[in-house]
Amino acid sequence: MKKLTKGDIEKVDPAKKDIGKNWIKVGMSTCGVAAGAGEVYLALLEESKKRNVEIDIRKCGCQGACSAEPLVEVNVEGLPKVLYGRVTKDVAITILERHVRNKKLLHDYIFEIN
Amino acid sequence: MEKKIIYLRDTDSAQQDRINDFFTLFSNELRDTNLIEQVQLVKIADIGLYEKGVTVKILPENIVYIGIKNNDVKKIIEETIKNNKIIKELLYEKKSKQIRAVLKNCGYIDPESMEDYIAAGGYKALVKVLTEMKPENVIDELKKSGLRGRGGAGYPTWMKWNFARGMNSLEKYVICNGDEGDPGAYMDRSVLEGDPHSVLEGMIIAGYTIGSSKGFFYIRAEYPLAVERVQKAIDQAAAAGLLGSNILGSNFNFELEIRLGAGAFVCGEETALIASIEGKRGTPHPRPPYPSVKGLWDKPTIINNVETLANIPQLIAGGGAKFASIGTEKSKGTKVFALTGKVKNSGLVEVPMGITLREIIFDIGGGILGNRDIKAIQTGGPSGGVIPREFLDTPVDYENLGKLGSIMGSGGMIAIDDTDCLVDLAKFYLKFCVDESCGKCAPCRLGGYQLLRILEKISEGNGELEDLNKLKKISYAMQKASLCGLGQSASNPVFSTIKYFEEEYRQHIVNKRCLAGKCKALVYFKILPQKCKKCGLCMKNCPSNAILGSREAGYVIDPQKCIKCGACFDICKFKAVMKE
Ligand SMILES: Cc1cc2nc3c(=O)[nH]c(=O)nc-3n(C[C@H](O)[C@H](O)[C@H](O)COP(=O)(O)O)c2cc1C
Ligand code: SF4
Ligand code: SF4
Repeated sequence: MKKLTKGDIEKVDPAKKDIGKNWIKVGMSTCGVAAGAGEVYLALLEESKKRNVEIDIRKCGCQGACSAEPLVEVNVEGLPKVLYGRVTKDVAITILERHVRNKKLLHDYIFEIN
Repeated sequence: MEKKIIYLRDTDSAQQDRINDFFTLFSNELRDTNLIEQVQLVKIADIGLYEKGVTVKILPENIVYIGIKNNDVKKIIEETIKNNKIIKELLYEKKSKQIRAVLKNCGYIDPESMEDYIAAGGYKALVKVLTEMKPENVIDELKKSGLRGRGGAGYPTWMKWNFARGMNSLEKYVICNGDEGDPGAYMDRSVLEGDPHSVLEGMIIAGYTIGSSKGFFYIRAEYPLAVERVQKAIDQAAAAGLLGSNILGSNFNFELEIRLGAGAFVCGEETALIASIEGKRGTPHPRPPYPSVKGLWDKPTIINNVETLANIPQLIAGGGAKFASIGTEKSKGTKVFALTGKVKNSGLVEVPMGITLREIIFDIGGGILGNRDIKAIQTGGPSGGVIPREFLDTPVDYENLGKLGSIMGSGGMIAIDDTDCLVDLAKFYLKFCVDESCGKCAPCRLGGYQLLRILEKISEGNGELEDLNKLKKISYAMQKASLCGLGQSASNPVFSTIKYFEEEYRQHIVNKRCLAGKCKALVYFKILPQKCKKCGLCMKNCPSNAILGSREAGYVIDPQKCIKCGACFDICKFKAVMKE
């Protein structure tokens, strides 16, 4: 990796932070992994490929709602950013099909906690 | 009309969930008004409010209505959905009680990506420090901020750093204390796993400020994921020139290395931790000299907690005054708590200092599981104490918790309900400290063991009233004469439970009863005929066939067969099973 300069860091504007319009983030800290986040993450990677659902899938740390792990946050253009909790492999697949592809939110898994 | 979303949630937990009824009401109404295509109705799992009746949230406007009745549905669709008018009577102005400062990035960025951290504004504080601040300016900002150590004792961070800065020595060290040994606490782990670069940045700034070129992360080996992510972060930072020589073109050099702890609680104590890094046995030694004068390899050393260090970047970036605008007079900023025990939403919360315990437990935590009665709150883990429910409105800060006989500690917070026994709780923590005592000094080694024996005796039904005095006396001796914080504070759980719940101890000692049913020898289950609805659920669930009777005659428990598992007590919907 090339060395960073002060300018590289100074020029970043976090307000304009844009990490892609469509993404899914899976909470992969110990609490999430213990609750099965690893499986959910893999399922999302594999199934999105298999089903041709275009979405950027990433890992993140713990948002704090440990009793609702595994947590999966989804941002799809045209819909609000949504945090799903107690996500299983099956729910993950439903997220891809229903939320990402058909732009319909899932019932019973959204945690509006912040 | 722009597309809308309505979130639905019944926030009352005592009665049957009415949300499907309301879902039907809303969808019928939307269909009747031909809006069904424009509005998505979604039943959700948690809306962040509790015991406020049927609640809806309308997006994208973020309008929250609470206490909704059947006949409000029509009005909501007509006025708010169709005509964008707010209905004042139903409106709830939700203020978030949490502030995300330390946890700002946790759960939002990829902890394994330095680019993500930088994109979120990371390392700007380091650039600021290296370009426009002298070490004394950093100290000034810290002083203005009022930041105090988050590892337990709450020592002002600027003083610690300033002592080390003032020492004349070629070698100095910075240590991040990631030992986190208290049962129930995992704030530091979450920060290390979720945002490792923020702690790195804090350490690099610390190194620059005190004039050190070498730092250590001390992390317990039981945190493999934290270790892995911190190592990755160190490698990335080194590759990008944020660690190493001439950092960002300055003449400041700094390196970081991880040392693993073997998981002894006492190794979180700073002098024991230093011994452990030096390769010696992890036992404490007397202070002074303090580490900032004579620490690692006898060189000036600052030791800070993970959360303390994670506060540094945002403190420097925003300035000390901004940091100090949150909190109480003597406790500034936010604190991360690991909320556990009998609370509905266990997890990590970050709150401004000065928030009340009630707000944390009820507004954020959602209240007590099964709507039982809260009895007390434990803070500070094995070194802390219990705070009874009378003090739920106490603002949380170092001073207030200390006054109540507990401590802020590193951030464990456990909700205790009426099914928890405080003698049992004191015994649990004491057992932990007895197991973890390093044995170097007698008050802790012997005192802890004696305290535990007395508590065991009480919970087995052999307690005498004189034992209460003995407990107090031994506790006092340990507080005064132990060498390190472990022994000095090990009796806090005992002390504070006696202080507030002496009656419960007396129940155990005089009446030989444990009303919470935790001390098995002292509890008897009984079915109250007046309350029993003769449903027979208890009989079906008793694992030991100890419940006799029929739906006609009612039920009784055979004390000979009862193994005191409590299944009948938990299952009875009519509270007809009692413990006595
Ligand atoms: C028995 C014992 C265990 C401790 N464990 C920890 C710990 O796990 N993490 C921590 O940061 N501080 C722990 N401390 C406090 C440290 O000795 C030290 O005060 C702290 O790391 C200083 O950092 P701060 O000023 O940032 O709070 C412990 C203290 C004692 C007596
Ligand atoms: S107080 Fe306990 S843990 Fe601390 S030095 Fe003495 S024996 Fe060891
Ligand atoms: S406490 Fe357990 S064993 Fe005793 S009567 Fe109730 S269910 Fe049966």
